[in-house]
Amino acid sequence: MLNRDEWLPLARKLDWDYSYVREEEVFPEVISGRPWLPHSEWKDWEESFKTSYREYVDNQYEKDMAVYAVRDAVGRIENVQKLAAPWMNSLKVHAAALPLAEFTGVIGNLRGARFGRDSAWRTMATFGALDEYRHTQIPLLLFHELVKFDSQFDWAHKFYHTNNWFAIAARHFFDELTVGQNAIEFHIATNFILETGFTNLQFVGLASLARESNDHMFERMVTSIQTDEARHAQIGHPVLETVMKHDPEYVQYLVDKWFWRNWRLFSILTGFSIDYLTALDQRPYSFREFMEEWIIDQFLRTLEEFGLQKPWYWDTVMDELDIYHHMIYASAYSYRATLWFNFVIPSPAERKWLRQKYPKYWDEMDAVWEQVSERWRTVGPGAANEFAVHGTVLPTFCDLCQMPLSAGTPRKNSARVLVHEGRKCIFCSEPCQWIFLREPERYANHKGLVKRVLSGEAPSQLPNLLTEYFRLTPDTWGKDVHSGDYEWLGPRKTSAA
Amino acid sequence: MPLYGFLQGDTLGLLILAEEGDTVEALARKLQDAASLRVAGRNQIRVVHNEKTIDPAITVAQAGLQPLDRFDVISG
Repeated sequence: MLNRDEWLPLARKLDWDYSYVREEEVFPEVISGRPWLPHSEWKDWEESFKTSYREYVDNQYEKDMAVYAVRDAVGRIENVQKLAAPWMNSLKVHAAALPLAEFTGVIGNLRGARFGRDSAWRTMATFGALDEYRHTQIPLLLFHELVKFDSQFDWAHKFYHTNNWFAIAARHFFDELTVGQNAIEFHIATNFILETGFTNLQFVGLASLARESNDHMFERMVTSIQTDEARHAQIGHPVLETVMKHDPEYVQYLVDKWFWRNWRLFSILTGFSIDYLTALDQRPYSFREFMEEWIIDQFLRTLEEFGLQKPWYWDTVMDELDIYHHMIYASAYSYRATLWFNFVIPSPAERKWLRQKYPKYWDEMDAVWEQVSERWRTVGPGAANEFAVHGTVLPTFCDLCQMPLSAGTPRKNSARVLVHEGRKCIFCSEPCQWIFLREPERYANHKGLVKRVLSGEAPSQLPNLLTEYFRLTPDTWGKDVHSGDYEWLGPRKTSAA
Repeated sequence: MPLYGFLQGDTLGLLILAEEGDTVEALARKLQDAASLRVAGRNQIRVVHNEKTIDPAITVAQAGLQPLDRFDVISG
């Protein structure tokens, strides 16, 4: 009988020459990806984990048991009820954004498991698909328990099935990244950029944020997910290495495109959580500090290691670290009923902290929060006044990333209009326009929310848009956590005053 | 006519529905009202379209604004 070291290499490297079909037919470029290369160029594809299926199952079983143990110990409704209200809403953001996005990762990995160009790659992608299925099921299981306590948690499953504006943006991103992607671009964009560049380290940071917020269930869940990510993210490196030998310009393009697309989504999810939805005394760092410490340095080192350049718009990212998520948060607060979680206004102490952490543009943001606070002072606190402190006209969205046109600074918004084949498009930023123009055939037919409203596909009146199109209800749409009842706001202004 | 309006000091662009016969000044007021939750009203303002300041007294049609154009309302 063969021992493990004898049979595993044979099982992992099980490629052969085809006699009845051509290799190009088994691995068509359209789905395997470009550049199309014969297997002789891929035969040295290797990764360091070299896991067998049995080892994989044993290991995952142990990890699942550890998550369930923590759920049973601290994941009950009464434990969750003890969490600070802002953090609870960070939980709702991730509860919705994470599980079904992970499910699209199953599809992407299965494409690699069939159309990856070497059997060791295909074996690893099979484990990757199983990982992502686990990352779908665990959060759905944990958050489902919380629906009876708070119906906003229902969006853990519902979010991607709606036409909520954030869901349109997230689907636009994940459909391209995973569902409709060829194997090479999927593994470079997902494993090398999203996972190695962002989520692998983000999950470490997010776990520490959850620990600071005494949310041990979420801490354990993301830690468990992160250990899978660290393994299957390794698929991206050898794929990238091989493509680099044949078409380095294409790899640089993929890096430039996908870093930007990831940055747009990531900065909102993580920026909101760190700088607004974690209690001030529990914030271990600002979002900018987190990015500098955990993401930027290691990403630049990895690029250098592979002989790649920084994306051409790098200075824009560095500048946006100071402002983009702040502009989106203030915009989202003032349109909070369009989302499925609740918001807080930063208190004077938090604004002082934010000024310290973001001195470059905070004056401009502070003026916005002062104006919003003034509106609450005028109308007075109370749930009945929510819509008196809420936007009324339709916000606008980028025709590439589908996020609100909230880039640049309050002084100068960086949105730009482009006429493409007779159709007018608007982009939040130069990189979004650049991505569109590199592959317009991929993006031009997508209809953003504004165009859906103008064509009559979506209702134009806000209440109808919320209920009929975004599928929100008065119970689930976003509100101010305190209904405007902040002690620091002082007494309500009367007309006599 | 739907237009993308950007008020200086605001955090996002807004969709402003204008009539062709609206004056540019009225258009600016519509945007200021729509953004008043986030940006305090100002009297000294200019409307900029295609990088040129436009006369507040002329109409939206006379100013040459087309559907889904961008216009900016800025201080000064």
